Amino acid sequence: MDIFVGLASVLSDPVLLGWVFLAAIVGMIVGAIPGLTASAAIAMLLPLTFYMEPLPALAFLYVIGKSGRYGGSIAAILFNTPGTAASAATQLDGYPLAQRGMAGKAMKVATISSVIGDFVGEILLILGVAWIASIALRLGPPELFAVYFAAFIVIGSVIGKSVTRGLASAALGILVAMIGLDPISSTERFTFGSFDLTNGISLVPLMIGIFVLGEVFTQIESRGAKTEMVANDQGDAARNRLSWAEYKPCLPHVIRSSFIGAFIGMLPGLGSAIAAFVAYGEGKRRAKNPEAWGSGALEGIAAPEAANNAVSGPSMAPLLTLGIPGSTIGAILIGVFLIHGIQIGPTMFLTSRDLVFALFACGLIGIVMYGVIGYFGAAFVGRFITRIPTHVLYPIIFLTSFVAAYTSRGNLFDVYVMVAAGFAGWAMRKLHFNPAAFVISFVLAGGAEETFRQTMLMSDNGMMIFVTRPIALVFLLIGIAAMAARVRSVNRQARALAAGTSG
Amino acid sequence: MSSEAAPASRGVGVALILIGIGAFATSMNIGLDQYGRWGARLFPLGGSIALLGLGIAEIWGARPTPQSNKQHLPAILALLALSLGYVWAISAFGYLISTAFAAPVALYIFGLRNPLGLGAAAVLCPAIYHGTFFVALGVFPPLGKWFDLLDVIGGY
Repeated sequence: MDIFVGLASVLSDPVLLGWVFLAAIVGMIVGAIPGLTASAAIAMLLPLTFYMEPLPALAFLYVIGKSGRYGGSIAAILFNTPGTAASAATQLDGYPLAQRGMAGKAMKVATISSVIGDFVGEILLILGVAWIASIALRLGPPELFAVYFAAFIVIGSVIGKSVTRGLASAALGILVAMIGLDPISSTERFTFGSFDLTNGISLVPLMIGIFVLGEVFTQIESRGAKTEMVANDQGDAARNRLSWAEYKPCLPHVIRSSFIGAFIGMLPGLGSAIAAFVAYGEGKRRAKNPEAWGSGALEGIAAPEAANNAVSGPSMAPLLTLGIPGSTIGAILIGVFLIHGIQIGPTMFLTSRDLVFALFACGLIGIVMYGVIGYFGAAFVGRFITRIPTHVLYPIIFLTSFVAAYTSRGNLFDVYVMVAAGFAGWAMRKLHFNPAAFVISFVLAGGAEETFRQTMLMSDNGMMIFVTRPIALVFLLIGIAAMAARVRSVNRQARALAAGTSG
Repeated sequence: MSSEAAPASRGVGVALILIGIGAFATSMNIGLDQYGRWGARLFPLGGSIALLGLGIAEIWGARPTPQSNKQHLPAILALLALSLGYVWAISAFGYLISTAFAAPVALYIFGLRNPLGLGAAAVLCPAIYHGTFFVALGVFPPLGKWFDLLDVIGGY
């Protein structure tokens, strides 16, 4: 019922609709530019939203995230370069179709599948989030710490190319979050006598540095490279028309992949890329024509696109119910909630229920908007992007990151933090560390420490309290099991690689 | 997303151990609370010990890694130097003058060689950013300690 009230209030506000529309376009363009991600755009635009009302600010960034995930498919299909990691699976079948002059058809399949996946994810979020929040309200500090612990381990070990470096990224994020005054005893930690550091490291410049400036440093390595769009002249309107008979076999894949994406989205830190590849693998395994996958099967576009967009809504569930961001976009949105004085966590459904459901309504409207724009205008967006010279785009992003970092608190120290984070972000990418794990752990560390210390005060048996509380124990075991599974899979890969090299 | 695992590296392992040792030593200097408890030290120590352990694990699995491509390092270091110089210049000369300097240099580093384009960037970038953030949004601009163009043009 709340969602209908939310929809009515959003639809009656033309200014808010304008922000959602703008976000749908901005997200699509940013997602389609190879190298730029929706996270980078959101981090850069975050300080601007401090001057907006809470709902337009949140809706603007939330819809950029959704539209950006979809926008990645434009680059994957038209440029043979995934605009985001999540659309790399789409490229496998999308680009071969584009080469055969059917880019328009591939884009239409990607658009419809993304819209269905996103809708499924958003509706599951709307139906389930209040229920999860009511359960979260009953969790005590030991259980909450166990959830944080599982999140650190999953985020650090499951994504990225190296388990040790992923976990090290999470540990570094925790250490950087400790800089400043201890919130309980006001003891100085890691300040080295610097007054500026006593306030701690601010989230906004850190994120702008890692996601925006870090990407600018990375892009220097590919300067001069031109974005080439697949030649479209051999395509004609008839070949690019999508009929119901052609899309019908995609539907089972879309529905299955939407649920896969929604489930993966609820788990902190896994994100769209993993959802897309899991859905692609599962789709190919169940397909009637697995041999066609990888050479231009429409189902091979539908499955990963539905999954990577279905992640979007459910990834908000841990953020809104526990205050634990499930994705980098969630981590960035925390900044908006905090700056507008909105307490995230289960009590949010008591204090800001209208705002939450209005945000979900904006999400639903945003899906429709990017769906319509994408269905009719994806090729135009592709052509527009090929006209943006990267040797002008990235210097502009470079300059914008400085003013955005300053704007967040009007403090030049934050700009130094942003520069340091930018260089660190580049180094992390270069050395296969995990910038997302670093940032999410930075965000989680404060809450994790608070719940851990509360647990220790509650406990008569020290750490044994985690063993005596079943829910806490389950989450601790989930974390350890996820890490063990990942270590096993990496070792298996290493052995296979060694066998391949020696043989 | 690539599923190929990155090989463990001795250099990365040593760096993690050194950071871990430094963080451990600094954590041990964090003051105790009024009851003499380690409360404020616990998490920093946990993070430091985790880094130490992960550094050892990285060295344990280390394999020879291919030499990395250092072709772009000069450009990256130039951009880092520009970044640091730009922030310092903002604090010394204010936003307008420092951006008029930084914008063409950034474009040059990224490969733009057209003098007209570089000149236009030196004028347009400070004007557009200043107008958007400090005039339209009303953010208080960073003023230069030594000289600021805003003093001359009367705050606009």
